[in-house]
Amino acid sequence: MDGISTAFNVLTTTPAIFAAIGGVAWGIIGGALPGISPSIALALLLPFTYGMDPITAIVLLGATYVGAEYGGSIPAILINTPGTNAAAATVVDGYYMHREGRGGEALGISLQSGVIGGLIGLIFLIVFTEPLSRVALAFNFPAYFALGILGLSVIVSLSNGSLIKGMMAATLGLMIATIGTDPLSGVTRFTFGEPELLTGIEYVIVMVGVFAMSELMMTANTPDWGKTDGKQTRIKLPSFKTWRKLWKAQGIGSGVGIFEGVMPGAGGSIAAFMSYNEAKRWSSEPEKFGKGSEEGIAAPEAANNAVACTALVPVLSFGIPGSNSAAILMGGMLIHGLTPGPMLFQKEPEFVYGLFGGLAVANISQLFLGILMMTPALWLVNRPKPYLMAAIFALVFSGIYSIHNSTYDLYLVLLFGVVGYLLRVFGFPFLPLVLGLVLGYLVEANYRRSLELTAGDHRIFWETPISLGLLSAAVLFLVGSAVRDILVARKAAKKVAEGAQG
Amino acid sequence: MRFELGRIAGAAILSAGLSFGVAGAVSAQDYPHDTVTLVTHSSAGGGTDVFLREMSGFLGKAMGVNFVVENVTGGSGANAMAKLATSPADGSIFYGTTPTYINTSLLSNPEYDFTDMEGVVNVFLDPQIVFVKADSPYQTLADLIEAAKADPTSVPFGVTTPGSLDRQVMEQFKEITGVTSPVITHDGGGELLISVLNGTVAVAIGEIQELGPQIEAGEIRLLASYTEERLPNLPDLQTAREQGVDLVVTKFRGIAGPKGLPQEVKDLWAAGIAKVLEDPDFKAWYMEQSLIPRLMPAAEYEPFLAAFAEEQKAFLIQYGILQQ
Repeated sequence: MDGISTAFNVLTTTPAIFAAIGGVAWGIIGGALPGISPSIALALLLPFTYGMDPITAIVLLGATYVGAEYGGSIPAILINTPGTNAAAATVVDGYYMHREGRGGEALGISLQSGVIGGLIGLIFLIVFTEPLSRVALAFNFPAYFALGILGLSVIVSLSNGSLIKGMMAATLGLMIATIGTDPLSGVTRFTFGEPELLTGIEYVIVMVGVFAMSELMMTANTPDWGKTDGKQTRIKLPSFKTWRKLWKAQGIGSGVGIFEGVMPGAGGSIAAFMSYNEAKRWSSEPEKFGKGSEEGIAAPEAANNAVACTALVPVLSFGIPGSNSAAILMGGMLIHGLTPGPMLFQKEPEFVYGLFGGLAVANISQLFLGILMMTPALWLVNRPKPYLMAAIFALVFSGIYSIHNSTYDLYLVLLFGVVGYLLRVFGFPFLPLVLGLVLGYLVEANYRRSLELTAGDHRIFWETPISLGLLSAAVLFLVGSAVRDILVARKAAKKVAEGAQG
Repeated sequence: MRFELGRIAGAAILSAGLSFGVAGAVSAQDYPHDTVTLVTHSSAGGGTDVFLREMSGFLGKAMGVNFVVENVTGGSGANAMAKLATSPADGSIFYGTTPTYINTSLLSNPEYDFTDMEGVVNVFLDPQIVFVKADSPYQTLADLIEAAKADPTSVPFGVTTPGSLDRQVMEQFKEITGVTSPVITHDGGGELLISVLNGTVAVAIGEIQELGPQIEAGEIRLLASYTEERLPNLPDLQTAREQGVDLVVTKFRGIAGPKGLPQEVKDLWAAGIAKVLEDPDFKAWYMEQSLIPRLMPAAEYEPFLAAFAEEQKAFLIQYGILQQ
């Protein structure tokens, strides 16, 4: 309880509490702008923190990270554009609900789930930093590989019925993931001599292209211009009755997020997808996923906010940033003379508890700021379509341009817009593509590194307990869904046959 | 030190600049510009960024110039090189060098590369350290070599990225000692450290400023430094050479500029750097970071960079990273 009084003391004697609120506000705005990922929102803020005292500065950065992870869901729901990588899983059900005129409700679910996920993640960060840091250490190459494979097995349930099309889309995603520098040999692959492609294609460019640009093209195709989309212009937090339906999805999301946040290299987007899938698997209405399921928003949003908290575990316990955002946060600590790592808790307890307190304030104030900022956002997207589409186009382009200040990325986003358009026209699902993209590198690099360790001996994958467990889970899941699909198909066929007889 | 917040280029995301200058203090010979831009490809808070910002405070005093650090990220330095190569060679803009920009030039064939710039002055060398997990059985390089020779795959070597300097050092180490252990690449220093801590790799190379917290917490143990002499703040750490492995690594940090800089500008820089390296406050900072001061004026730095690039190129070709 010493920690709580320290935190309280720090928060009441420094401007940290204002930093927490301001950080969340800026984070929500930054996260909502496509192209401004949480890490860019943090990087933009970093120079302003040089003159602040260390706690205020780091609370500001931490709160921005929290806000940005939530902010990404706003354009995902309202304009079919994930504002951040981790919001890609929210797009499907969120935008579906918005088109049904339930956008305010979707925003409310995302906000409430984000706050719950964030608070659960924070509690785990505060109470279990030590054991969680062991989870990060336990994951070696074969374990990461198996985690990636388990993630890819999700394709089966994300394919909306057409497994072949889902696999094709996922393969395309995996292929895009190979562009750039080979993780082991350093040879450049499929870069065609373009220095812009050396570090690979940013996920957000593919996601914005596939989701947002193709949406703009589709809208241009079906001129329905005079009308506005929704009728509902108020954010609506889930009622207690709805929440009773959501807690399971939120719990799954938080759990997956806590786990993935701790591991360097896994991160928010993988957590969002895995929790989406797990929520679907354990849901009582899995058929609603992809068609405006509330749980389909609750799980990934709880997950990515939980990630924002537990991503601090490797920073605080090893001094190792698990994501770009965590790296910038760590840079901020270094600038202020704080050395993250195993000695931080002993040497700077005031700082650590102050940071925890600040994050608690940030997560709670997110609820109020979210409600405050949602009404104007809803009003904006209910403007006449021609204005809205033009504004989205400008927003997306300026956001993408700002990633590297490069016009090259604009051509890329247009290219992926065309890819997304074709996928829509031919009825391919998007999520497998995005999943292949975010998991391709993880799977490939860790598969090859494992074999490098054993000089090509595959036994390492079943001799490593974590890897064995995760791979078995993937196999069980694949076989289970195949059997279920066959049974469903047989039942349907039987019905048709009976119908023909009768 | 006076902080001047506010030169945040609103639209230019990520290239947010921070003017960090100290005005006044007129030197004997005036520098031809009042404000000098220092470009880095590292993002805010990254290694070179912190180094330039820290140094520019002291350097501003020594040279009577306001320094502005600008982060031109992207393309692993390609964007920053393009900016430098197309800027006037009048002493108003410089680049913070690390081996990265030479590597990128060799690997990606960008429109502008390191040959469009020239070395102005070198400031530091980053000592490279061999380290193992604290409970590792290896106490010296000799132990390590012996174990690796007996069973190569049981002693995997960890390095950061495939084209990195530490990979090159590991491969050189294997060549010198005749060891055939696998060299395992990672995505960066953080992942490498985790691999050492969880025992995936037996040994790795790093830098003191990154390893400091782990050293202090007793999680890792240092085996050797690839330096010519022992490090002043780690007097008990033997060099690789002392342990019979004749390998010295020169990872440099310095300043380069657009090609065709006037000689007097280069001389003013050499004089300015010589002065800041003696500044007691700056000295305290760089000693703590375990940086080795190594002033090389332009006449020496330019051939040094050229030789480094040649060596790097030979390495990249030998390991198939670069096609000839």
